Amino acid sequence: MALEEGRGGLRASDADREQAVEVLKAAFVQDWLAKAEFEAHVGRALASRTYAELAAVTAGIAAPLSTVQPQDAPSPVREQRTRRKISQAELAKSLGVSRQTVILIENGRYLPSLPLAFSIARFFGLTVDNMFGKDTARPGISARSRSAPTA
Amino acid sequence: MMTFIRPRLRKPLRNALAGTVFAAAWALRGGNAWQLAIVAEVTVLVSAITMYVRAGEDNDEGALAGSRADERQKQLSLRSRALGWNLATVAAFIGLTIAVAVKATWWWPFLVILAVAAFGYLLGLSNYGVAEEIPADDATDGHPARSPVSH
Repeated sequence: MALEEGRGGLRASDADREQAVEVLKAAFVQDWLAKAEFEAHVGRALASRTYAELAAVTAGIAAPLSTVQPQDAPSPVREQRTRRKISQAELAKSLGVSRQTVILIENGRYLPSLPLAFSIARFFGLTVDNMFGKDTARPGISARSRSAPTA
Repeated sequence: MMTFIRPRLRKPLRNALAGTVFAAAWALRGGNAWQLAIVAEVTVLVSAITMYVRAGEDNDEGALAGSRADERQKQLSLRSRALGWNLATVAAFIGLTIAVAVKATWWWPFLVILAVAAFGYLLGLSNYGVAEEIPADDATDGHPARSPVSH
């Protein structure tokens, strides 16, 4: 799955745990796991604190591509930021928002308002369409998080 | 006035001031109420100091307590307050209904809460422009405007 080698000791995020649960769900749907196994694995995945623990939960389970691809595809904001070697805190400071907001935008869990979207696009020298267009939107984004505030 | 005060201090100071007024009200009550006034004041001061400390934290709660919220955090706060008011009005309605049913004399505070909520809502609609009638700039003299793609 998407858990990269060499970062096993690092703390896993909620998004990583959700990703592991998605893999387990897909395995359960395809009858690779019994119900009791599935429930036990999900419990362990949600309790996992590091990537190593998460990897152990999903060890031996082939991740269906459809569950992994959306998480693997970096968001345009993260891609642009890492390309320019800017930290999330620096980007947040430049945009006048909190670091948490930058993280949520990068994870596709918050769709910024139009002024902020313009600020982000302008910061990277791109258009809003390039940064947040239909083709670049994260499939995992929920309808609820898409309800951006009115400017 | 608040703009002259450091953002991190604004909400703790406001809460401390409101709490002090409340404690003063207990002190004015006379008798042994001064003891409760002291307890209220100490509680308020501890609460204000805690809030000031939390306002320095790098998270959403800290940003809200420190009056430096970005658009997402403001939206979060707005939704939470709206939920709080909704619950308060539901509770007031239930209280009013029960008070009427048991012929209690304490029905009117519930009515005051509902009236204030309704007035605030209408004031919001008025202030935020919902009541304004702005004619469409493609309005014609009684004839429906034709779409450029219609035949």
